[in-house]
Amino acid sequence: MSNQRQASSASQTPHLSPAELSYLYTSLSLPKSPIRPDGRSPTQFRPLTAESNILPGTNGSARIGFADGTQAIVGVKAEVEKTVLSTDTLASSEVGEGEDSTSTSAAASGHGSWVQMSIEIPGFRDDDALPVFLSEMMRESLVGSVADGGGDGDGDVTMAGGLKGRLVINKRWHWRLYIDVLLLSQPLSYPLPLLSLTTHLALLSTKLPKLKSQGEEDPFFDDDWEVAEYLYPRSSNLKAAGNASQHVRPPVTLLVISVGENVIFDPSREEIAFLPSPLLRDTEAGNLKLLSIRTVDPPSRLTQPAVPNSENVNMLGATAPTEDIAVLNPATGEEEVPGVWRPRRGGVKRSVIANMIKTVLKKGGVGEEVLEGLEGVEVE
Amino acid sequence: MPLDTSTTYPLTRLRLDGRRWNELRLLQAQISTNPASSGSSYLSMGNTAIMCSVHGPAEGRRGEASGAAGSAGAIVEVDVNVAGFASVDRRRKAGGSDKQSSRIATTLRAAFQSHLHTYLYPHSTISIHVSVLSADGSLLAAAINACTLALVDAGIPMPGLLTGCTSGMSGSASTPRDPRNDELDPLLDLSLPEEQELPFLTVGTTTCVPVGENHMEDEEEETKVAVLNMDSKVHFTYIETMLAVGMDGCNQIRELLEGVIKGSNRG
Repeated sequence: MSNQRQASSASQTPHLSPAELSYLYTSLSLPKSPIRPDGRSPTQFRPLTAESNILPGTNGSARIGFADGTQAIVGVKAEVEKTVLSTDTLASSEVGEGEDSTSTSAAASGHGSWVQMSIEIPGFRDDDALPVFLSEMMRESLVGSVADGGGDGDGDVTMAGGLKGRLVINKRWHWRLYIDVLLLSQPLSYPLPLLSLTTHLALLSTKLPKLKSQGEEDPFFDDDWEVAEYLYPRSSNLKAAGNASQHVRPPVTLLVISVGENVIFDPSREEIAFLPSPLLRDTEAGNLKLLSIRTVDPPSRLTQPAVPNSENVNMLGATAPTEDIAVLNPATGEEEVPGVWRPRRGGVKRSVIANMIKTVLKKGGVGEEVLEGLEGVEVE
Repeated sequence: MPLDTSTTYPLTRLRLDGRRWNELRLLQAQISTNPASSGSSYLSMGNTAIMCSVHGPAEGRRGEASGAAGSAGAIVEVDVNVAGFASVDRRRKAGGSDKQSSRIATTLRAAFQSHLHTYLYPHSTISIHVSVLSADGSLLAAAINACTLALVDAGIPMPGLLTGCTSGMSGSASTPRDPRNDELDPLLDLSLPEEQELPFLTVGTTTCVPVGENHMEDEEEETKVAVLNMDSKVHFTYIETMLAVGMDGCNQIRELLEGVIKGSNRG
């Protein structure tokens, strides 16, 4: 396992020869109709099994397993905590009301540090780069979501201020949310989409006890778990048309790769190995909003380039020199021989990113499909 | 009414969760839960839930395989991870692993290293990964059972199923036992609140395969104690009773696990 500890943000490269890499690249970058090694369409996800509320000892939990055997379990636990900020704020607010606006707003709108996330991946320590990077990336989008006023409907009043606002009980007390992610198997492909989907599902099923006390009293809760309220409030009947898309849902991070002009979703292990530029993006559900885009260094950059026949000493005189003529690649500006693998360098074109965003956000697009699929998982 | 076993048990003869002294909690198990590993299992005893996966036997890491230990047989590696959400209050462990999980890991490693037929796999490693999803007492016993199931699923030969169970006494049992006035009952399969107030021990037993002609005629299989672990104080006169009850629990669990293993082939 020592070699895995050294793996950085990019997951391990499967051992593929330059010829295999070149073959995969060519088939994936076919204009308009890429061919994926497992025969999926570009926007198709791998089959997965999902269940939620599997652990009675948590506020919310979920398990998702991909067909290749990677599984993740997420447990969400909530604890009541005293808001440290507000104790002096309350005192000062009685004296002079003008100067405490900043700290009062923190107590009213919540604080990002109230959500804690930890990821455990077998073979990695807690403080290794990959778990820390992944958890921070997921926490960021979770906390940052709906920061700009989510309460645009009557049903969303409780969700104003996003997740942070939901955690506020009153000026002196708040919920602290612990999200523990457990990856049960070695990360075969980049684990982020799996972890993000599982976290999404766990948060959907998370319930907090119903508050009985009012206003600034010390919080006191109803001990009947049946009346507990969902962390992400849901409309009473999801099937009501139009209503389902209105309420706030936790964000989901999808992994998208771009190969040439093509945009490919949910890359598998082989595909991610050489992806020229994988892009991670967070979508905020509700009205489907794009929260953030982040690029990840692809493992393909570390692969060895192949040697064209014309430069191969072993092949001297064996091939006609006309067979491999270097072609100037318009994208990279480098000379390339077709069929000879060369690690891709450089960024992604704006049009490709625009295409990516459009595919996710459009009505009936990938984002909607994923979120609805997850919602379909029986939460009760 | 006080909610602890030592005060209410003498009155009602019922434990906190309504069980009698010799009743196990509901045991549910599944094998082959994770297709990415050689063998895997899920086991729940009451509210204790454990997932276990086995990788191997596979070629060991370069550093260890060259050692003298690796040449004789397979090395068993155990990694125990108690999830942060497993207990009632969320607990953050500092720096990788805590004392409880490393103790369980050491006990499991010692138990299975000697239990499995490791000589069949020289120069290789069998790595067991145990994830505790929910902890409600009898962690070590449940981990032993889950590991046994996962190892069976992985097809690693062993002489018999190694099963574990806890047993305790229904009082502090710190004075010598009085045979004429025996007011303490032994308890089987303790839950977390019981574990915290009562003395208990964990016992793991295995059956050996009958060898030789005489053994074939024996009706009963001989059970052997393979694991015995006790963290609390008890007067030694009670040990025998606790051990007998624990071994009886192990036999019950063995039958349940055999049912799980046989039942899993039907699908």
